[in-house]
Amino acid sequence: MPRPIQEINAGSMADIAFLLLIFFLVTTTMDVDAGISRTLPLKRPVDPNIEYPEVHKRDVLEILANSNDQLLVEEKFVEIEDLRDIVMDFYTANDNGMDNNPNMPMFEIVNPGSCNVKLAALNADLVKTPDNADLKREIEKWTSKLQLCSSMPGSTYYEMSNMSIIQLKNQANTSFGLYIEVQNILKSVVNELRQKMCDELDWGVYLELKEDGPVEDQDKLKMLRVLVPERIVEARIDR
Amino acid sequence: MPGVNTSSLPDIIFMLLFFFMVATTMKEVDMKVEIKKPTADQAIKIEDKDNVDFIYIGFPLDAENGTEPRIQLDDALVTDYTIVSDWKMAKAREGKTAFDIVTSLKVHKLVGMRIVSDVKEELRDIDAIKINYSADKR
Repeated sequence: MPRPIQEINAGSMADIAFLLLIFFLVTTTMDVDAGISRTLPLKRPVDPNIEYPEVHKRDVLEILANSNDQLLVEEKFVEIEDLRDIVMDFYTANDNGMDNNPNMPMFEIVNPGSCNVKLAALNADLVKTPDNADLKREIEKWTSKLQLCSSMPGSTYYEMSNMSIIQLKNQANTSFGLYIEVQNILKSVVNELRQKMCDELDWGVYLELKEDGPVEDQDKLKMLRVLVPERIVEARIDR
Repeated sequence: MPGVNTSSLPDIIFMLLFFFMVATTMKEVDMKVEIKKPTADQAIKIEDKDNVDFIYIGFPLDAENGTEPRIQLDDALVTDYTIVSDWKMAKAREGKTAFDIVTSLKVHKLVGMRIVSDVKEELRDIDAIKINYSADKR
């Protein structure tokens, strides 16, 4: 005769669940990891014989955050609230190819003809030195530009002077908080301008384009980097 | 007077448990420094946390370690910033170089930039140039 099945005593179930709950409360955190991504420049030995092209003052936007957490742009004190407009002006003052503001970088017109001439010259150089990584990168850049021309209405676009840089200087006691504030402003200007480009070209949402996504996304990102370059130079703080 | 029926208590607790399991993440390390992160409205959530190394820079929680900002790598405080590159190399994952792995800098907002600059230069020495400055979304 089979024994009658006894009911399991579930009275301690709550205690067990409580234990598990407390374990998870202790070992986990709520905070999400978010942040601003940047790629630092690669460190490469510098060829002492290289001839540097002349740097024009108008191409450089110098932002200094000093040890007292004050902000200086081009050696003049500014408030953090005004920095965004200054950076925006740096990117857009002459973006129609005119010399509207002689203190801001020039833009030059790029068309398929000039791209093809440049590409032909670079490819000829590559045949001579097939392992030159700089040349390959240059060719990739001009291929992007050519591709960009075909995507743009009128097959031409205006490109910011390729010497234009944002120079970010800090001092030993500049607080990390102020530094992030400045980085955040630079990022927000670039993101806004790239999104504007995406809207004009009907490319969707800029932040949804993924580096490891489909090829067309990668191409779009490459082209956006040509259209709205993000060239930030930082000097090491002396010891 | 009859007692309160507690037979659904386990279910309620389990619900709470599942909520916490889903909404939280495991702590990576025991914090030895205090970090109040800066805020930034352009901060983007890190998706692939497995391919990120974390460096913490903040003020020591234990008074024995002084009041100057210190670097915490994994579970230990370090004194000399030059160790950062060795640490980063030792953490390299199979088939990946230091270049591929993002380094997230979690820094207290009042820490001076010198120590951050030193760490960044160390990372550049080994081509670990992908950096994420940790900040809370505003």
